[in-house]
Amino acid sequence: MQTATATAAPGWAPVSAMRLFLRRLGVVLAAGGLVALAGFWLTPYAPGGADFLNRLSPPGRAHWFGTDQLGRDIATRILYGGLWSLGLAFIVVTVGAVFGTLVGLVASRGGRVLDYALMRTTDSFFAFPELIAAVTVAGLFGPGTFNLMLALILVSWMKFARLVRSLSLSLAQRDFITQAQLNGLPEWRILWHHYLPNIAPGVLVLWTNSWSRTILAISGLSFLGFGVQPPNAEWGAMLLDGKAHMQTAPHIMIFPGLAVLSAVLAINLVGDRLRDLLAEQHQP
Amino acid sequence: MPVRSLLLRLAGLLAVLFGVSLIIFTLTYLAPGDKAMAIAHARYPDAMGFAPEILEGIRQEFHLNAPFHMQFLHWLGGFVTGDFGLSYASGAPVWDIFIDNLGETATLALAALTLGLVAALVLSSLAVWHVGGWVDRLAIILASVGAAMPGFWLGLLLILFFAAQLNWLPAYGTGTAAHLVLPALTLAFWVMASQTRLLRTFMLEAYGLPFIETLRLRGVSEREIFLRHVLRHASIPALTMIGLDLAGLLEGAVIVELTFSRGGLGALLAGSVLARDFPMVVFLVMFFAVAYVTINSVIEIVQDAVDPRSRAGGAAAARKSGAQA
Repeated sequence: MQTATATAAPGWAPVSAMRLFLRRLGVVLAAGGLVALAGFWLTPYAPGGADFLNRLSPPGRAHWFGTDQLGRDIATRILYGGLWSLGLAFIVVTVGAVFGTLVGLVASRGGRVLDYALMRTTDSFFAFPELIAAVTVAGLFGPGTFNLMLALILVSWMKFARLVRSLSLSLAQRDFITQAQLNGLPEWRILWHHYLPNIAPGVLVLWTNSWSRTILAISGLSFLGFGVQPPNAEWGAMLLDGKAHMQTAPHIMIFPGLAVLSAVLAINLVGDRLRDLLAEQHQP
Repeated sequence: MPVRSLLLRLAGLLAVLFGVSLIIFTLTYLAPGDKAMAIAHARYPDAMGFAPEILEGIRQEFHLNAPFHMQFLHWLGGFVTGDFGLSYASGAPVWDIFIDNLGETATLALAALTLGLVAALVLSSLAVWHVGGWVDRLAIILASVGAAMPGFWLGLLLILFFAAQLNWLPAYGTGTAAHLVLPALTLAFWVMASQTRLLRTFMLEAYGLPFIETLRLRGVSEREIFLRHVLRHASIPALTMIGLDLAGLLEGAVIVELTFSRGGLGALLAGSVLARDFPMVVFLVMFFAVAYVTINSVIEIVQDAVDPRSRAGGAAAARKSGAQA
C-alpha cells in the first residue's frame, strides 16, 4: 500500500473524505444487513408457503405487503428474493470483474500481438447487447438460473478488460513502476504490489455500476421468462408470477418492482459518490 | 486522417465482425437438441414422428453432418453473399420476416428517442438556468430514478393506471397509434433520464469555459450565449453519447415490446429462440451486433477526424470518461 499513499499524498483532505464515506457506508450496510437478518429470523412465513384461505389479501398487519395468488407472504418473498436478485448479480459481476481484470492485465503487459488479439476478442463480445445475448443463450440452452448466469457472465467482463488495460497502460508510464522494474522486482510482484492497488479503485466503481445494471437485467429477463423461474422468489419472477392478477390485486406487482428500483437506485448512488470522491483524489 | 490508420481501423472492424460471427455460430452449434428434428417439425407441423431417412436427408441438405469449421464457412459464405437462409418455422426467407418486423421496432425506438430527447433538452436547459434550484433538483432526481427504473415494471405501472384504471389507452398489442403511446412513454422515460444527466453535465461544462466569460464581458445576452454557444458546445458530446446509447435503446425496445405484447424484433427474437428457429436467431443477433459495431466504428472515425486530441488512442478513454459522467 505504500504506493497508494505515495501517489495520493498531495491530496490528504480528499482521502479522508473517502475514508469518512466508506466508514458511513459500512455502518449503513451493517445496519441494513442486521435488519434483513432480523427479517429472516422473525418472519413467521416461508417463501414458498402457500395459504389458500388468504389469497390476494391486501397489505395489512398479518401480511405487511399482502399475499399473492397462492397466499404466499409477499414481504417474506421479497426478502428471499433479495438473495436471488442481488446475490446472482453479485456473483455474475464479480466473476466478470476478475476475468476482465486478468484479460486487461495480460493484454497490456503481454506484448503487442497478444494485446491486439485480446482486444479484438473483447470488441467482438462487446458487440452483443447484454439482454439480446442473454435472451439468446438462455433461450437456446434452456431458460433457467444457471444458463442466465452463464449468459450474463459471457457479456459482463469486457468493460473491465478495457478499463484495466487503459489504466495499466497509463500506469506503465509512471516513474514508480520504472523504479520497481529497475530494482529488479519480478513481474508478478510488480503486478500484485503496484498495479493492483492502483487499478482497484477504478474497477470498484465500474463494479458497482455493473452490479446495478445486472440486477436490472436479471429481473427483466426473469420477468420475460428467460431467467429465474417461478416459484423461486426472484423479484422479476415474482412480477411474472403475479402479472395475471395485477388488475384485481395491484399490490402484488407494486412491491417487487419497488424492491428492484430501490436496490438499483441505492447502488447507483453509492457508485456515483465513490466515483466523485476518486475523481477528487486524482485532481486535488 | 492518415490512410494507414483508417485501413488499420477497417481491418480491426473486419476482425471484430469475424469474431462476432464465430461467437454466434459457436453458440448455435453448441445449443442442445437435434437441429434436423427442429427443421422436420417446422416442415411437417402435423407429423408425430419422423423416419430416420427423412432426418438423414435433412442433415444432408443442411450440411449438419459436416465438421464444425466446414459448417461455419458454409454459413459465413452464404451470409456474406446475402443469402441468409430460410426460417425453420415459416419457410419464408429470413430477410423478409426481418423487414416485416423492423418497422414496428424502428417506430417505437424513434418515437421514444424523439420524446425522450425533447423532454431531456427542456429539462436540462431549465436545470442549468438555475443550478441548485428546484427544477435542477427535480432533473437530478428524475435522472437517477429513470436510470434505476426497470423498464418492464414502469410498463406494468402505466398499463395498470392508464389502461386498467382509467381505460384511456389499450394495454396490449399493436396496430393503432394509441397502442404506441404507453410503450413509447416507457422507453422515452429511460431516454430522458440518461440524456438529461448527460446534457446537464455537458452544459455546465460549457458554462465553465473561459470564452463564455469573454462573451459576457462583450455584452452578449445570456439568451444568445445559451442558444448559440452553450447548446452547440453541449450537443457534440451528447450526439456521440446518443450513438452509444443505441444499444440500450434496442435492448429497451426488446423488453418493452415483450412487456406490451407488441410485434417487432424483440418479440421475433424471443419467439424464434423458443421455437429453436436457428437461421432467424442467428440473423437477428448478427443484425444487432453488426449494427452496434458499425455505428461505434463510424463514431470513432468521425471523432478522430474532428478532434485531433483523441487520435493517439485516446478515443476509447475519452468515450469511457464520458460514459461514466
